[in-house]
Amino acid sequence: MATGGGPSLPPVPPTAVTQLIQTIILGLLIGGVYALLASGLTLIFGVMDVINVAQGALLILAAFFAWTLWNEAGIDPLIGVVITTPAMFLLGFAMYKLTVQWLSGAPASMSVLLTFALALVIEGSMGLAWSTTYHAATPGYVDESYRLGQFYFPKAQVYGCGVAVGVLVLLYVMLNHTWLGRSIRALSENVQSARLVGVNVRRVAALTFAIGVATTGAGGSIISVLYPFLPGSHYQWISRLLGIIVLGGMGSLPGAVVGALGLGVAETMTATYISPRWATAVPYIVIMVVLLARPQGIMGAKLREDVVV
Amino acid sequence: MTVAQGSARRFPARLGGAVAAKPFAPFIGAALVFLLLYPIATDNLYYQNMIILSTLLAIMGSSWNIISGFTGYVSLGHSVFLGIGAYTTALFSLRVFDGASPFWFVPISGVVAGICAAVVGSVLMRTRGHSFVILTIAFLFVMQIVTLNWSALTNGNHGLTLPLPMWDIAYQDWPFYYALLGILVLTVALAWWIRRTKFGMGLIAIREDESKAASVGVNTPIYKMLSFTASAVFIGAAGGVYAYYLTFIDPRGMFDIVVSVQIVLAVLLGGRGTIWGPVLGAFILEPLNEITNNEIGGGNWRLVIFGGLLALVVLLLPRGIIPSVAQLWARLRRRTDAAALVGARLERPPAAALPGGGAAGSHRTGRPLLEVRGLAKQFGGLRAVSACSFEVEQGSITALIGPNGSGKTTIFNLIDGTMSSDSGEVVYADERFDRLRPWERAHRGIGRTFQITRLFREMTVLENLVAPLRSFSWRQLGADAVSGPEAERAAELLEFVGMGRFAEMRAGSLSYGQQKLVELAQVLMLDPELIMLDEPAGGINPTLIEHMASMIRELNARGKTFLIVEHNMPFVLGLCDPILVLAQGACIATGTPEEVQADPRVLDAYLGEDYRAEEVAAG
Repeated sequence: MATGGGPSLPPVPPTAVTQLIQTIILGLLIGGVYALLASGLTLIFGVMDVINVAQGALLILAAFFAWTLWNEAGIDPLIGVVITTPAMFLLGFAMYKLTVQWLSGAPASMSVLLTFALALVIEGSMGLAWSTTYHAATPGYVDESYRLGQFYFPKAQVYGCGVAVGVLVLLYVMLNHTWLGRSIRALSENVQSARLVGVNVRRVAALTFAIGVATTGAGGSIISVLYPFLPGSHYQWISRLLGIIVLGGMGSLPGAVVGALGLGVAETMTATYISPRWATAVPYIVIMVVLLARPQGIMGAKLREDVVV
Repeated sequence: MTVAQGSARRFPARLGGAVAAKPFAPFIGAALVFLLLYPIATDNLYYQNMIILSTLLAIMGSSWNIISGFTGYVSLGHSVFLGIGAYTTALFSLRVFDGASPFWFVPISGVVAGICAAVVGSVLMRTRGHSFVILTIAFLFVMQIVTLNWSALTNGNHGLTLPLPMWDIAYQDWPFYYALLGILVLTVALAWWIRRTKFGMGLIAIREDESKAASVGVNTPIYKMLSFTASAVFIGAAGGVYAYYLTFIDPRGMFDIVVSVQIVLAVLLGGRGTIWGPVLGAFILEPLNEITNNEIGGGNWRLVIFGGLLALVVLLLPRGIIPSVAQLWARLRRRTDAAALVGARLERPPAAALPGGGAAGSHRTGRPLLEVRGLAKQFGGLRAVSACSFEVEQGSITALIGPNGSGKTTIFNLIDGTMSSDSGEVVYADERFDRLRPWERAHRGIGRTFQITRLFREMTVLENLVAPLRSFSWRQLGADAVSGPEAERAAELLEFVGMGRFAEMRAGSLSYGQQKLVELAQVLMLDPELIMLDEPAGGINPTLIEHMASMIRELNARGKTFLIVEHNMPFVLGLCDPILVLAQGACIATGTPEEVQADPRVLDAYLGEDYRAEEVAAG
């Protein structure tokens, strides 16, 4: 079970302030990766009101793809992103067309059940294909770090964060500067109105779902370098992602970024100052506290709740 | 019009969507006899084990059905109570009373699970929908992590080993078998009993429309907390037996999300919200589970098969086997008379049909029954209501009019407690009202209808009428859902609104106008002193509008006070006095119909050119 810190670090200079800053740096680096992972989940939720619980399993599946490319063909996982991302896009499209599409109109809890069921199928299939042991891609740089003054920047995390931010920027540009992006945003505001002004709702919903799943392509590739993983890891990942989007405000992309950075720092702090064993509990505790105290999260607007449901 | 009269006692005590057990009764009896005799008749341990595990799943399914089937809150972490029960029994028999038979602690396991559920449930159930599902998963995993990390107590990862059974080997696993079978009988009995009480009626009302349930007097937090508790107790007890049966428990096995999924799958398969569906589903699913484990080796294939099955059930058979079969059965021997009623013309009821009530005549007292002072409510940046003040005189029919978006419905929601105000006071019968919960306001005598009717769609019309509660008491929870005097009163009120023939129909199948009438009757069941109607004449035909007006006059003559939001000006001007005019969230004018019509501010803000044109055209 991976816990916050990622690859092992050179010994940290022993002053309290340095250690704190180092912890925050690592938290922010990992938070950048989390931001990408959570963006797909929050995008899908924002547009179609479906919590894709299978997102964690898809992430691990992409990690296995990246690992296989690295293992069989020697392709660096962070470069393999250009293969895994389109592959996950197609898989997401197929998943939507074959299953999620047929849900429309069912109560919210049914969509959770369906995607949970898909997560189990993916988990079992991964176990059959790759066995239920830990895997990790280990390109040459995983044990190396950049050094800046007293602080260490592990290369794998820096590269991973860089790729994640790059993909996030692409996603942002796509949402704000293309016709498809505008349709997606229209759909998340109001499905009926979007349909009235000529948006092909079914097509855009399918593409949104596929794009949301495609983010796991890049995300899973990065993870395969940063953490050891096995099919059952997806529970931990989905709870982490849920914690992030709940914290940031479900459906809000900027919220996902803020939530991701927050959770990344909270996890590394817990691992450093309390115990790595309790770091796994952080996402669940964040979920419980936020949903009960401020259900709309940090960036989610408190909307008018119409009495007519 | 005569069908329902005097026939109230014949209404069956049945809740919405219920499937009568009658056609199944012989099968159920036979199955129970089979299960009772099976271990004695054969010594096949393989099948005994299969039945034990099926029984366990049936207990969990029937319990889950109370919270998720009846109440509509889907818990995806419900196996947490199995773990709590298992660890309770294990810890008591190892750490507290070393050497005692673990069976002694099974009841304690049930109680501990129940207490945990009561505490956790009252917090978690403040959320709904997605949030609740996620929270239940989070609760399961938190408990797993706590059990893993609290090694001093639970031995963490290494698990706990219970004493081995001490009875003669000739008895095989009988004590486990019969203990679980007994718990299953208790669980099903509990579900069946809940289903026919006021408590169960309230749960179904919450499932259908929670805030509506609160507005007709259902104390929703207590109902939800109790149903969560009821859905945990027997799982906890079964967990105690299960721990002893396994003799070894560990955190990952006891707090297993896959078990939660099996529970959900079993109930969805058999039929959510039914009494026997969960049992049927469990006895189909668990043998399947055993067979796949033995034939294909479990593990990954088990995940694929269960995940695939769950996906198929959600997509293709979301209502489950029993409701689908029952529907098919009903279609085969369909009764056409009830269906034909939906399109039937409504007849005017005799004026004398109004039950109860005081002497006819004006009951205006000149004293305010309801006072609103400086009320304000903001949605984000939108000020829906601001500094709004007005009074409703006791015995009057007061209208609240204003252009779209002027805050009329929001004011209704603030008065009945569906929303809470940012500032300001609501005083009803000289009592500060604005911090009371919605059901408390209903208990004090406020009833309201909704702009778009909100009946409990899966319940029958009669059940919709007996769902409102005039008070809360613990004893009432266990009362029959539909009792004699209440059913009679409901029948009388249905007669009054002209819907007497529709008592046994499903509310969701009625036309919009018919639903308006039923909703009025439903509110009257609360015997409220103040009745708030949100667009009673909206979207219904002119004859029905006339009927509505005469009923309001009749009720008013018997002492009911009305506050009415309405856009139909002839209806308002002919019926109401005084009229309050709302613009941009504040009350800008009050007066008789004549005064309001002449008030230039009102003409500007609201009636405007359209109304004058209409008046010219009409006159």
